[in-house]
Amino acid sequence: MARAVIRRVVFGVIAVFGVIVLSFLLEFVVPGDPARAIAPRAQNLAVLANIRRQLHLNQPLAVQFASYLGNLLRGNLGTSYIQRQSVASVIGPGLKFTAALALAGVVAEVLLGGGLGLLATLFPRVRALVSAVNLTLLAIPIFVLGLLLLLAFGYGLHLAPVAGGAGPAQIVLPALTLGLIGAPWYAQIVADQMQESIASSYVRTAVSKGLSDGYILRRHVLRNVLSPAITMIGLDLGSYLSGVVTVEVVFAWPGIGLTAVDALQNLDRPVVMGTVIVGAVAVVFFNLVADLVRMLVDPRTREEA
Amino acid sequence: MTAAAAAGSGPALEVTGLDVRYGPVHAVRDASLTVQAGQVVALIGETGSGKSSLALAAARLLPPAAAVTGRVAIAGTVVSELGGSEFRRTRARLVGCIAQDAMAALNPVVPVGRQVGELFAVHRGASRAEAAQAAVAALAAVEITSPAAVARLYPHQLSGGMRQRVMIAMAVALAPPLIVADEPTTALDVSTQAEILALIGDLRTRMRAGFLWITHDMGVVAELADWAAVMYAGRIVEQGPVQEIFDAPAHPYTEGLLATRRDLRSGPAGTPLFQIPGSPAAPGEVGAGCAFAPRCARASPVCASDDPALDPLGGGPDGLHLAACHHPAASPGAAVRAVPR
Repeated sequence: MARAVIRRVVFGVIAVFGVIVLSFLLEFVVPGDPARAIAPRAQNLAVLANIRRQLHLNQPLAVQFASYLGNLLRGNLGTSYIQRQSVASVIGPGLKFTAALALAGVVAEVLLGGGLGLLATLFPRVRALVSAVNLTLLAIPIFVLGLLLLLAFGYGLHLAPVAGGAGPAQIVLPALTLGLIGAPWYAQIVADQMQESIASSYVRTAVSKGLSDGYILRRHVLRNVLSPAITMIGLDLGSYLSGVVTVEVVFAWPGIGLTAVDALQNLDRPVVMGTVIVGAVAVVFFNLVADLVRMLVDPRTREEA
Repeated sequence: MTAAAAAGSGPALEVTGLDVRYGPVHAVRDASLTVQAGQVVALIGETGSGKSSLALAAARLLPPAAAVTGRVAIAGTVVSELGGSEFRRTRARLVGCIAQDAMAALNPVVPVGRQVGELFAVHRGASRAEAAQAAVAALAAVEITSPAAVARLYPHQLSGGMRQRVMIAMAVALAPPLIVADEPTTALDVSTQAEILALIGDLRTRMRAGFLWITHDMGVVAELADWAAVMYAGRIVEQGPVQEIFDAPAHPYTEGLLATRRDLRSGPAGTPLFQIPGSPAAPGEVGAGCAFAPRCARASPVCASDDPALDPLGGGPDGLHLAACHHPAASPGAAVRAVPR
């Protein structure tokens, strides 16, 4: 088991490094001059050249990359071109908000999706209805759903605040949006796994032991359903933490996604790199955590590892 | 009426006029069978003959899609008349089930000790610790060495023989009067098979339970069973004491089954094995006459029009040998010699 963890961490580090190299290269392929973004009205070429020199943009790409990597290894993400403060302090606040939204969104999609999946399995009569709901949710673009929720709950029913601030009340609608978009996937997994489990030979054994339906569901079926859902939770947490731009834009949620978009538009390379690295680390980290939790839940995965 | 009050009165299993239908398919037709306490009754037949449906119906384990009619009594308790939840509360004390594939029949993500122990927790109100202790004792009772360590393992960590022992431990945990075993040794290698058979023989004498044993292994039948019932196309076509069935099979289908084996044992090298001509009738496509008639060398016009009743032949020490045939064999092997090879 320890070997499995070490192997996954090593692969994770390699993956993050790969992402860093690729996105660093991409930044230089993208046309545009950061100096012009910093001083858009500067007429004097000497001023622009000076800015470039200050940012070390006049050095060869390899040298820039080496010095970036060196700083990174010392835990320094660099300084924002535009805001003149450390990347960590630019990303930090947004990261907190994005983390809160990611967590709330995953909780919402697991509850909604799990509920839909359970409904479809336990009550065959509503199965068709659940599939219709799933299909509808899959077909709706995320920003349309967000706007619909805003209209319905914010402007129509006045149940949720429309804008202003980013507190517990404001997180409900964006989290619900993420939850509704993600729910069909969980519903499908839960329904499939439950049907497979209920038809299994071990559930017949449990029935032959005179266990009640509720007991069989709790002790024998659900544990067999958890494993694939855990993998998906890990993937979602990771990808949501790299920013859920659409939702953050629709609900003016001050997360890392908005920071990333701003930085991209301003050619603020260090900030873009910072958000990319945060996302990559989050994906790798939550995948690892999901794998570990799966090993706890499903003993068979311990030996495979 | 509780099962406990009724237990001990009557045979381990008494099935009367059992019918199982899956929609239009008539899987079991008018089956009647008795398993006495301490007796092993072998249920023999090809795949699709209805033997599993009969056994699962006796244990009330068929899916809801199956329509079951007829009377099933286990140790005096008429389980076919019990309500669902009433039967659920008593079933583990009435009938234990041993599946063919223990790997699939055990929950992969629950330690085997807990799978055995939950029987005591649910049906005897045992605490967690008591249930765990009882599980270890139950594993020891099926001759598992170091049962306390095995109890903590998961099914995939055990050998095939060990898994089958765990299944058996669960089936006999509450000492039910009836055990239904669905080819419990088919998936095992020969030496493990022998160990499991020895264990079951031992349990039978210790527990005085009746066994309904589904198999197509005639060797196992000869070794272990007291009584045999042969099924064909959903009907029991012959039943009687095993010795009687082996020595003087009356139904041409039984003769054919045994001939297959006899050739293997004593036929000269190079002789092709005996085969029953044709292929088994599916339970859904049985007409008015005897289902075996199209494959039978002794078939006459009456066989095509009338399905023969399962009648006593009058032979055997206790005169209980029954066969459903218009032309039962007068002497052992008569039909087999008549069937073209």
